Amino acid sequence: MTLAVGGFRLNPISYLAFLVWTLGLVALLPDRSVGLLLVAVLGVGALSGGGGLRILARGRFWVTVVSIIVLSALLLGPRDVRLWVVPVSREGFLIGVWMAVRAVALMLAFAISLGALSIVETVRIFEAANLRGLGFALGVALNLGPVLRDAVEAAYHTIRLRGGFRRPIRAARLFLVTVIANALRYGDDVVKSATARAFDLEAKTDAAIAVGWADAVFLCVLVAGGAAILMLA
Amino acid sequence: MAKSGWTVRDWIYVAVFGALWGVLEITLGSYLHVLFPPLADTFVVGLIMAGIGAIVALVGRWFVPKRWAVLAIGVVTTILKAFSLGGIVIGPMVAILAEALLMEFALWLRATPTRGLYILAGALAVSWNFFHKFIMMRILYGRSIVQVYTQMVKEGSKVLGIDVAYAVAIIVILFVFRLVVGGVAGWIGWDLGRLVGRRLARE
Repeated sequence: MTLAVGGFRLNPISYLAFLVWTLGLVALLPDRSVGLLLVAVLGVGALSGGGGLRILARGRFWVTVVSIIVLSALLLGPRDVRLWVVPVSREGFLIGVWMAVRAVALMLAFAISLGALSIVETVRIFEAANLRGLGFALGVALNLGPVLRDAVEAAYHTIRLRGGFRRPIRAARLFLVTVIANALRYGDDVVKSATARAFDLEAKTDAAIAVGWADAVFLCVLVAGGAAILMLA
Repeated sequence: MAKSGWTVRDWIYVAVFGALWGVLEITLGSYLHVLFPPLADTFVVGLIMAGIGAIVALVGRWFVPKRWAVLAIGVVTTILKAFSLGGIVIGPMVAILAEALLMEFALWLRATPTRGLYILAGALAVSWNFFHKFIMMRILYGRSIVQVYTQMVKEGSKVLGIDVAYAVAIIVILFVFRLVVGGVAGWIGWDLGRLVGRRLARE
């Protein structure tokens, strides 16, 4: 991910630090100061190319945000105002707005950080942390997704067409056993392929993650900005 | 996470069970979260997903008989969930990791797992669902423990048909119910592991 200003690059660790920074501030800040944090998160999102801010264009994101406010107005506090025919709570509405701002800041931070991280970079982080096996498992798991979905569908339709769901508990057990057994069989095929290619988990790879001056500046700005927001709170 | 003594097969089985749990989280979990928004529901989605997750991870432990295996499966699932399409993944990610950690903790008690340990692991994993609401509501929405407690008592009162005056009883019942569901998940995980093992051995 390249920052638009100056075109310098941040490494994945910086984005993870940004995520931890946001989580810490969300937990520490009182409601009235969360707006400042949201502005800071939006700023980082814009500087990092805007990819993480694409979540703002998703309908489901806004459905969640609006549902927080609406449900708060309906469920929290005394219902002292009528909105057409529905009694709602002003206090609940305000609580809902603050909850929504907090949730938006956190969801954006997650989207920005995860948007900046690719699976390849995540695997590299594991490898750099001397957890090559976990990185390898992650790569395999990612490619297994579609295969498992097919296995689940095939098992479901086979049991359904044979009338297995007339006895639901037995059918559920059969379904789970079939899906897991098929997944393990596929896993054995992957083991054979890896062995045939003489794959070695202990072999050294060039997985070092370079920390540049841009990362150092970014981390300093995070620390200073966090302190400033906490002082203003 | 320890890696010495782990074979390529072990890691691939970790991937298989991580992917299975991930597929269920991404498909069924997302669907249930749309049906029951997190703010309105303190019970259903977490309970169902924690139970299913515990079963999958514990069956995985049967085939990767190594310490840290369940946590590794949980880490893979968490990352798959993080990269899934859809907006809100923070809560499920925290829940998956916490459940995997609790199951791993239970399985650490003895070198060789037993049915009893599987039941304990399942119960601990699903019991996280109870505390998850308090922690996530504080982090994500800034709500206090008292607010979450009050909402939980009100909902529990409706579901159980018990007067809100018996708040402590309601909370205890809701917690014990989670333990029981988790225990059943552990029991099923043990049986399923054995069944799948037998089926594969026959081939």
